[in-house]
Amino acid sequence: MTEPINIRILEPGTRIALIDGATAEIVSNPSDGVWVFARYLSSPDDPARIGSEEMIFAQDIVEIRPGD
Amino acid sequence: MTAANQGYRPGLVDMAAGQISREIFVNEEIYEEELERLFARVWLFVGHESQIPKQGDYFVSGMGEESVILCRDRAGKVHVFLNSCRHRGMKVCRYDEGNTPVFTCPYHGWSYGTDGKLVGVPYFREAYHEKLDKAQWGLVEVPQLCLYKGTVWASWDPSAPPFLEYLGDFVRYLDLTLDGWDGSEGGTEILGGIQKWRIPCNWKFPAENFCGDSYHNISHRSVDLVGIGPSGSGRRDMQERQMARRLHVALYERGHQTGVYVLPKDLPTPPSYQHSSVVAEYFAHCEEERRRRRGEWARLIGSPGEIFPNTALHPRQPRTIAAWHPRGPHQTEVWRWYLVDAAAPAEVKDFLRDYYIRYSGPGGMTEQDDMENWNYAHAASRGTIARRYPYSYEQGLGFETENYEFQGLRLPGTVMDITETKSSEHNLRNLYRRWAEFMDAGSWGELATWRIARAAE
Repeated sequence: MTEPINIRILEPGTRIALIDGATAEIVSNPSDGVWVFARYLSSPDDPARIGSEEMIFAQDIVEIRPGD
Repeated sequence: MTAANQGYRPGLVDMAAGQISREIFVNEEIYEEELERLFARVWLFVGHESQIPKQGDYFVSGMGEESVILCRDRAGKVHVFLNSCRHRGMKVCRYDEGNTPVFTCPYHGWSYGTDGKLVGVPYFREAYHEKLDKAQWGLVEVPQLCLYKGTVWASWDPSAPPFLEYLGDFVRYLDLTLDGWDGSEGGTEILGGIQKWRIPCNWKFPAENFCGDSYHNISHRSVDLVGIGPSGSGRRDMQERQMARRLHVALYERGHQTGVYVLPKDLPTPPSYQHSSVVAEYFAHCEEERRRRRGEWARLIGSPGEIFPNTALHPRQPRTIAAWHPRGPHQTEVWRWYLVDAAAPAEVKDFLRDYYIRYSGPGGMTEQDDMENWNYAHAASRGTIARRYPYSYEQGLGFETENYEFQGLRLPGTVMDITETKSSEHNLRNLYRRWAEFMDAGSWGELATWRIARAAE
């Protein structure tokens, strides 16, 4: 089990890895500790999601990825 | 037979005799019925647009016992939502005010946009298999909302008349609180924060007090002796008492009522705010402008009033709106908003803020007098023996005047001229008359009697 991530402090531009193997970049963060708004960078299960913006649930975020 | 099923008219509220049972203040069954028959059907004051100037701004308010969110969405539209998640009911907003892109329930994580739409559902794909119809599960929004001169009003009842029809001719008296002091349309803003506090009495005690209970003036004798007023004496500038007609005005069909002063024709408004030359000059200038803009109607000086059932107006000194939120039959949560002309100089606003909180609110000297009366009156009315004896509302019964006119100014409503008699309970009777009508009536079809009369013509 991975350590929980405090998503409240994640800044826009932060890259995150999701539980389904997708990666995304945070666009905005309401700081409610439950959701972030992020744009998909990759999505092995559903490539159509790449580029789309969605709300990402905190428990689906498994890792913070270093930026470019 | 229990007190609750004696019937309201003429049982518990006997307006012909001018007597009201104490049960309507202390009986828990009646209170529960009140929430359904009154607070779920009337128009209620929710807040002021100046509290939510920017997109995403919100202010958590109340309607009856319900917590509601007043907010401005990303498109700038104002909404009022029930502050309760559609999934399991948790409050989706537990702050008093702020700015946010979403309201997220901390229980299971459902999240709503500022337009009320359900936008975030955890495990929507996995657990719900994308089958949940999000469009059906947005925040509950009030079916009726009205923005009037900066103020925000809402009703849970889709069949209630529109707000301005609900007000009827009382709008002229509401304007005394909401228009600029120079007579310009609207232009007020909220000064400082909202004072909120709880007092151990039924909400109708403060409500009737603000209808125009001039009889309790003796309670404030000590404040008058201290001289907290803005000119250094009394608790307000009250020179108009010596020169104006002093009236109680009630709208029978609507349940709204207020005190008001009418100055004689061609007599200038007395000077006020003499403790500060800057403030005194500001109001003197405003009075001149008001005369120019409003003509004869500028002779009207506001006094405490009440929009049925629980919104109190205090148009002048201090200039405030209060909501008496019911919190059970034996407790009231008071929310008090203070208003100023948005265009007033900073020094004027500072002066008014100091004066306002010296007068009103939990630390205000005048309001403390009132609370002491309401609290002890309520406590002393709860006992088995005490409940057997009704209150008297007989003062001035039968002395009302229709089509009241004073030196060319005809006032809307039914009027009691108390210039010589000093006091009446005319307005208080009107509050309870309307209250009993609501408690008896099954629908707005019975309550909007003016529509019935109009249709008959």
